[in-house]
Amino acid sequence: MTYLIIPALAVSIAIIALLWHGDPKRRRTVGLRDRADGTAKRRALAAVALVPGLVLAVLGDSAAFLVWFGACAIAGWLVAQVRVRA
Amino acid sequence: MIHLPKEETKLMVAVHGWSGIVLGLLLYAVVLTGMVAVFAEEIGAWSAGHVETRSAFEKPIDARVRALVPRTPAEFRDDVNVFEIGDHNLGVFFHRHELKPNGEPVDRGVYYQLDSAGKVENELRGTGEEVFGPRNDDALSSFLVDTHVRLHVPNPWGLLLTGVLGLAMLVAAISGLLIHRHLFKDIFTLRRKANPVLVDRDRHSVAGTWSLPFAFILAFTGSFFSFFGTVGVPIVAMAAFGGDQVALSEAVFGSAAKPDPTPRAIGNLDRITADAGQRAGGAPTFMTIEHFGRADAVVTTFHEPGPGDIEPSTLVYNGATAAFDREKPSIGTRPSAGGTLAAIMGPLHFGNFAGVLSKAVWFGLGFAMCYVTLTGLRLWLVRRREDARSLDWLERATTVVGFGLPFALLVCSVAFLVTMPLGSAVFWTPTSFVAACLATIVAGFLMANARLDRALQIGMAALLVALPIVRFATGGPGWGAALATGELAIPAVDLALWVSGGWMLWSLFGQRRSVRTADDFALQLAE
Repeated sequence: MTYLIIPALAVSIAIIALLWHGDPKRRRTVGLRDRADGTAKRRALAAVALVPGLVLAVLGDSAAFLVWFGACAIAGWLVAQVRVRA
Repeated sequence: MIHLPKEETKLMVAVHGWSGIVLGLLLYAVVLTGMVAVFAEEIGAWSAGHVETRSAFEKPIDARVRALVPRTPAEFRDDVNVFEIGDHNLGVFFHRHELKPNGEPVDRGVYYQLDSAGKVENELRGTGEEVFGPRNDDALSSFLVDTHVRLHVPNPWGLLLTGVLGLAMLVAAISGLLIHRHLFKDIFTLRRKANPVLVDRDRHSVAGTWSLPFAFILAFTGSFFSFFGTVGVPIVAMAAFGGDQVALSEAVFGSAAKPDPTPRAIGNLDRITADAGQRAGGAPTFMTIEHFGRADAVVTTFHEPGPGDIEPSTLVYNGATAAFDREKPSIGTRPSAGGTLAAIMGPLHFGNFAGVLSKAVWFGLGFAMCYVTLTGLRLWLVRRREDARSLDWLERATTVVGFGLPFALLVCSVAFLVTMPLGSAVFWTPTSFVAACLATIVAGFLMANARLDRALQIGMAALLVALPIVRFATGGPGWGAALATGELAIPAVDLALWVSGGWMLWSLFGQRRSVRTADDFALQLAE
């Protein structure tokens, strides 16, 4: 497994955190009605979050790709647990 | 997302709910023990105090195996399996193939368990089913794996049961995908102050959405393993080989070498293990010798996936000359997509393809799936709480299994640590588990559900914190001794137990105090 897994995870998790931050429905439910991201921005961010995984897959590192995929899934679930008060 | 017509959506909701409610508690038991079993090897080393880090195949094995030949009856010298046991010691099974009255193949022979010096510590005779069982030093990890694989139900029923549970998980995952209209819109939405149905629904759907791809993978690969030997092999043998499972096995997994029964000494096994280690990027995990002592002897070494790969490798050597022959696909004699798919089933299910990192990720995914199962059960119950009070028993059962099962696993870990030095861990590990389960069930009848829920969580937290202390107190190696040999599993498991126990205690007591303080402050303001 290449060491690319670390930057790949860092990039994807950072973008997942950005997606969480600007998620309109989440913001609405906690009373934050402003500064929600638009659909186009969210789609672009989601696409960028997938790029590191794509790079690992193209490099043929199947082990790193699976670790990246699983770690992103757990990170997304954990990021969703963060509590914010309006 | 996928938009089904209203009637079909209703049907899918029913399928999703009932598939979970009928088999959910058993599925939770399988997923929970599977999650822990990801680290079975590390838990085995931690619990038994194993500090050797070098594989048995990285040490000389040739002389040790040869020394066993004279004491083995000639009738059992057809084939030999060589593998690791205990603290990276050697297990050697000399055997021949037999058929059960029902036509099922079975191996019968002599199983030698060697100590670290290569001397025979234990010698067992019988069929594979009779001689391979838990040992005093691996009773805990064996118990965990056995619970996950067959829930301690005798074969083949246990495997069939876990296979059906895997299919139920697959059905729940697919129906969950179909009924969730806003899969991505709701991916970060957790309403904590809404009504209980919405709170539980959000918890269930957020965890379920993030872990959905892996729910498919783990359910499918788990069912594959359960049904492979119990259903797949007999059916294919019946359809294509007239019921002859040995012929099927030879055709699918065997070698196409021409038989030559001329007596000939086996080649140097140390040369084979060294060469195999270099070719596969790591020492073998298992070795088979077919036609031992004959000119047509074949040595096969099995390896974990190499760096950057998820496909395990299998190497074949000429047994008489110890010369490398070829890399063998897992199925058939030539590489194929089906062979690759079959080969990656194991790493995809066990998460053991990239060391501790991939195991940690698979452990996390297993935890997410436990959470999805439990919150799904609770959601189903909360939705019906006002309509049907008769479901109180199911709510209690969910608490008893949801928290009682991990509590019982922790109790049996303590029992293992206490009884292993006395040599009675094989008996006390499962016995203490059953006793803890019974105590939890009785408490389920006697206590209010909320109190039982909290009591079990406190018990779990206390046991998590106590386990490393019990390990030290019962003579387990300290961190210094473990680190000196490079065995990181011991301090890592100790730390993980303390962190999770501490986190549980904080969420049970610390959080409650902060909520109470906030409530007091609000009351003061109101006054």
